[in-house]
Amino acid sequence: MADVRIRPVNELDIEAICRIDERITGKYRPDVWEDRVVYFIRRDPDSSQVAEVDGKVVGFMLGEVRGGEFGMEEPTGWLEFFGVDPSARERGIGRGLTDALLAGFKKRGAHVARTMVRTQDAEIAKFVAAMGFTAAPVSALEKRLA
Amino acid sequence: MLPDRYHQAIEHWRQHNFPDYPKLAEVWPKYFPKDDAFCLCAKVSEDISAEIEIGDDIGKPKALQPKELAPEAAQHLLSQIRAQASTEFGSIQQHQMTLFRAQEPQDQAWALRVMAEELRHGYQMVHLLTSQDWSPVTETKPEDMVEEILSMQTGSHVLAAFNLEFDSFLDNVVFAAFIDRVGKYQLTMQKISAYKPYASSMPPMLREEAFHLAAGVIPLRRWVEHAARGDGYIDMPAIQKSIHKWFGRGLEMFGDERGGQTNVKFGLKDLNNRDAQDQYIQECTKMLDDLNLRYVRARFPDQSRDEADAIFARVAAGETVDGLSRDDLLRLPDRRFFRRRGEFAFQMVGTHGEAFDDVEKYVAHVLAALPEAYRASIDVKHWADMQREVAAGTKTLKDAMASMPRLARQAGGCPCGKSVRWVIGEAGGRAGGEQLNS
Repeated sequence: MADVRIRPVNELDIEAICRIDERITGKYRPDVWEDRVVYFIRRDPDSSQVAEVDGKVVGFMLGEVRGGEFGMEEPTGWLEFFGVDPSARERGIGRGLTDALLAGFKKRGAHVARTMVRTQDAEIAKFVAAMGFTAAPVSALEKRLA
Repeated sequence: MLPDRYHQAIEHWRQHNFPDYPKLAEVWPKYFPKDDAFCLCAKVSEDISAEIEIGDDIGKPKALQPKELAPEAAQHLLSQIRAQASTEFGSIQQHQMTLFRAQEPQDQAWALRVMAEELRHGYQMVHLLTSQDWSPVTETKPEDMVEEILSMQTGSHVLAAFNLEFDSFLDNVVFAAFIDRVGKYQLTMQKISAYKPYASSMPPMLREEAFHLAAGVIPLRRWVEHAARGDGYIDMPAIQKSIHKWFGRGLEMFGDERGGQTNVKFGLKDLNNRDAQDQYIQECTKMLDDLNLRYVRARFPDQSRDEADAIFARVAAGETVDGLSRDDLLRLPDRRFFRRRGEFAFQMVGTHGEAFDDVEKYVAHVLAALPEAYRASIDVKHWADMQREVAAGTKTLKDAMASMPRLARQAGGCPCGKSVRWVIGEAGGRAGGEQLNS
């Protein structure tokens, strides 16, 4: 972790986030990440984080504190999007990002952090479990609309 | 909240200078649906060090009142607050000029929010000027300081960047990307201020400023993509010319490159002017690199990320690739280009750093690099006149730096007064940042 710098996300990180997303998903989606990043910047620019190695952004984690959703009134830190460049993994970057994000949530009054993982995303599930997330006493439900 | 008379004075100012403010409430649910409603109020952060963080008095308790500062430090602080207030109110006046020429409703809504938050920042500065006793520092009464700030108009603000008129919505966007970025640096530097009420004001302002920068960069990113595809209305040369208009003024907001040590010594900022400016230039370079990459990706949609990166690297190095050359991309002008204050004032250096020895050739070079509408302004004519006089030796550099076109109101008070009219100020009007940041 000595050469990794964790800091809040800013508007000049969008291209790097697009690059990481593209390396993971194979898709170049600048409009999507512009919308997402600016959402978090305008609502809470201190919470969401990026990780730099040698001045280059290699990971990101976006989230915010909200309350009152799904009947859960307590302020909740929601971890919503994250990614680490495949070439920069296994260096503690995900953990560094998580620690910084959760510290920010706590500072903003949240006593719990939550996220959701699709069942087919085993790798992500493994990561969030390693970060200390456990199954929550809530059920994610859906109904397909024809 | 401010005492009612100051609150009402700002509300009154807002009615005259920001008439579109009520529209923000109309567009808020659509463009900022989950965000807390805008509040015109002062905000402070509790999370600020109680001890001075830099300078001669490092480790001592921060001042809670102006009288606790050394007299010279207090004067510097007052100049900072006054200048900061001027920029906040000044930028609203500039944005208002072209706000409703935005092509995209979202861009317009974002600019509206930026303006409202700048109003809050101005409100914050007025709070600082009226909530403490400044009588040991200045003979001017708080109400007169506020009156002076609220009577400033485009042309009579403290810093040159806030005295330029916007010619199109392109200016709203480039201003947010470049000039608000300087604002971010100033707020960040002032976050360590030895005057705690000022330091405590910075974090909430910085949180809002983060969105202001995005309100500049995101539209630029989308415009360059359209420009690359050839299906937009704003091309790369237009953006480049607007950058030429604003970049030098942004640099000058830091103050003279050789100064700023006094603010560090007094614990009012943590960087001298040149160091802050260097970081700003680096950040602007990164911004343009990202915009250029977005352009290259759109211009060559079938190329992979790595291939597009390689194309950009070759073009940036001067090669022409599939018809794309360095001149098709955005480029930060040389820091000495079109300067009128600071270390490089009136040096005849071109956009790419080339030196000129013929003033007429230099004036022609600068004019060709600037937006057409701006070229027709009194600001450009005044600069050309000064540049010629400096080159001819008929005006000293010092006088030329001080002699900016200053549109000063002959009568003060409310702009709804019929007697208000505009005159060109006398040469020798106050220069801006380099005095404030010595």
